[in-house]
Formats: sequence, C-alpha cells, structure tokens
Amino acid sequence: MRVEVLALAVVVGLANYAFRYGPIAARLGEGRAGGAMARFLAATGPAAIATLVVASVLPMMGTARLPLVAGVLAVLGLWVWRRSVVLATLGGAVAYGAVFALGG
Amino acid sequence: MSERPTTFASGVLASVPIALGYFPIAFAFGVAATKAGFSGAEAFALSLVIYAGASQFLALALLSGGVALPVAAFTLIAMNLRHVLYGPSLMKAAGEGAGRRHAWAWAWGLTDEVFGAALGELARGRRFSEPFMFGLGIGAYGAWVSGTVVGAVAGGGALAAWPAVEAGLGFMLPALFLALLLSILTRAAVPVIGVAAVATVAGTLAVSGTAGILAGMVAGAVAGVVRK
Repeated sequence: MRVEVLALAVVVGLANYAFRYGPIAARLGEGRAGGAMARFLAATGPAAIATLVVASVLPMMGTARLPLVAGVLAVLGLWVWRRSVVLATLGGAVAYGAVFALGG
Repeated sequence: MSERPTTFASGVLASVPIALGYFPIAFAFGVAATKAGFSGAEAFALSLVIYAGASQFLALALLSGGVALPVAAFTLIAMNLRHVLYGPSLMKAAGEGAGRRHAWAWAWGLTDEVFGAALGELARGRRFSEPFMFGLGIGAYGAWVSGTVVGAVAGGGALAAWPAVEAGLGFMLPALFLALLLSILTRAAVPVIGVAAVATVAGTLAVSGTAGILAGMVAGAVAGVVRK
C-alpha cells in the first residue's frame, strides 16, 4: 500500500464525512417553514437528482445513441408500468446492453 | 393507509436497487484500478475510505498521472462539495422532530443515490427513521466495497470479452438516477428539474463536468426559491 494513496484517501474521505454529517450536526437550514432557506432545501432534492441524470447521460450522447434511447425508454416504460425503481433500473440496463449487442 | 415499516431491515431492503447499481460500478472501479497499476488493497482502501464513485475514478487518473497530492485532494474535495446540501435537505423533508442522534453513523452513507432513495421513500409516505437510514446506507456501502474487491480480484480486462455486458453495466447508474427522478416527480418540481437540466448542460459545455453538476444543483435549488 503506497503512502500517497492512503493519504489521499484519508484526506478526501474526511472531507466527505464532514460534508455529509457536518451540516446535519450543525442543524444548518433550520428556520422558518416556508422561508427562502426552506424552499431552497426543498428544491435541492429534485435539482440534485435531475442534475445527476443529465450529467450521467451527457457523456453517452456522443457514442452509440440507439442503446441510449432503448435504455431510457425501458426505464420510463417500466416505471409507468410497475412503479418500481429496481425493475426500471435493471430493465434499462438490460435494454441498453441488448441493443448494444445487436449493433445499435 | 397502513404505515410502512421504518426498521433497519426495511432500510436494507430499500437499498436493493442501489446495491444492484453499485455492485457492477464498483466492480468496474476495481477492474480499472488494477488496470491502472493499483493493488487490490489500494482499490479497497479508496472505496472504503472515500466512498464516492466519480471522484474515485478521477483519483485513479490523478494519481496515475503524477498530479501533486494537494492538487489531487483539492480537486476531489471540490467535486464532492454538493453533498453539503443533502443532509439539511433530507432533514427538511423528514419534518420537525425527526431523529438525528445517530446521524454521526448513518450520514456517512449519504451518497447521491442514498439521498435520492431516502427522499423518494419520504415522498411515497414512509416516515423518517434513523434505523431505516442506517439500513439503507449499509446495504449500499456493502455493495460498493464488495464490488470493488471482486473487481480488483478479477483484474484488468475482466469484461473485455463481454462488451455488451460492460455497456449494460455502464448504463446502470444513469438508469438508477432516472428511476429515482421519476419516483420523486411532482408537478411542482418540474420547473426546478428543467432549470437544473439546462444549467448542467450549459455548465458542462462551458467549463467542465464538475462545474456543470454544481451549476445544475445550485440553479435548480435557486429556481425553487424564486418560484413561490
């Protein structure tokens, strides 16, 4: 085990822990219900997840597009059908891989 | 409506989709690490101690490229700054009086996907509980660390003969994010989602992927404040 790898892991890991636990411990964002901070925090969840969808799909736009279309449609279709995050996720990955295998 | 369980076991059960998404990605990380010349123990340590997927992949590139340690650390820390918003946002959604005595233990597991899944559970009517959060986090963390170990043992090029499987696994995380987004989708959230998406594309094209992520999250959250 190289010292620099371990050192980097510890420093970044400690920062991650501080980012995840620190604001809860400090009770950040607690205030008047309906206030600006409350609305900011309520919108953070949808904003974060939408951002991660776009950020993870963007790099795939330049390569094979048919598998991407198939994967996205499978996730949407399975979600509408069963309302299951597990099924939609797995079905999307299977559809992507299958269309990729067919040369899409 | 019957009350949905909030036990540790129900949290572990709710972590299944995340674990199914995490294991193959962590496997790919283990494979990539050994391919880049890292030992199995080093790959394991990175997953165990950093526990943040995208920045771990970047850590491989930075360390392999000989980037100075302080620069690498600063880059990776900046990349994970978005996590600062998750705790307060989750506690806000959990409502007043939500327990936080043991947050020092479960907050470590508050990754993008665990945060998204917890929010989705609250949106679907499950009451917030710390044992549930701990179960949700431990299932995801276990899959991440064990996937890394299996990938590192399998070694570089393990998936070279299975390109379609590799491609499908590569879509697992976008599929999970999309499913999580659908699970929390409401009419009120649509403008926030639209603004976040546009800002992410703009930030990514104009500056970098990390800048796009920060721009999307902040712009989307600000849109939620502006829109009464």
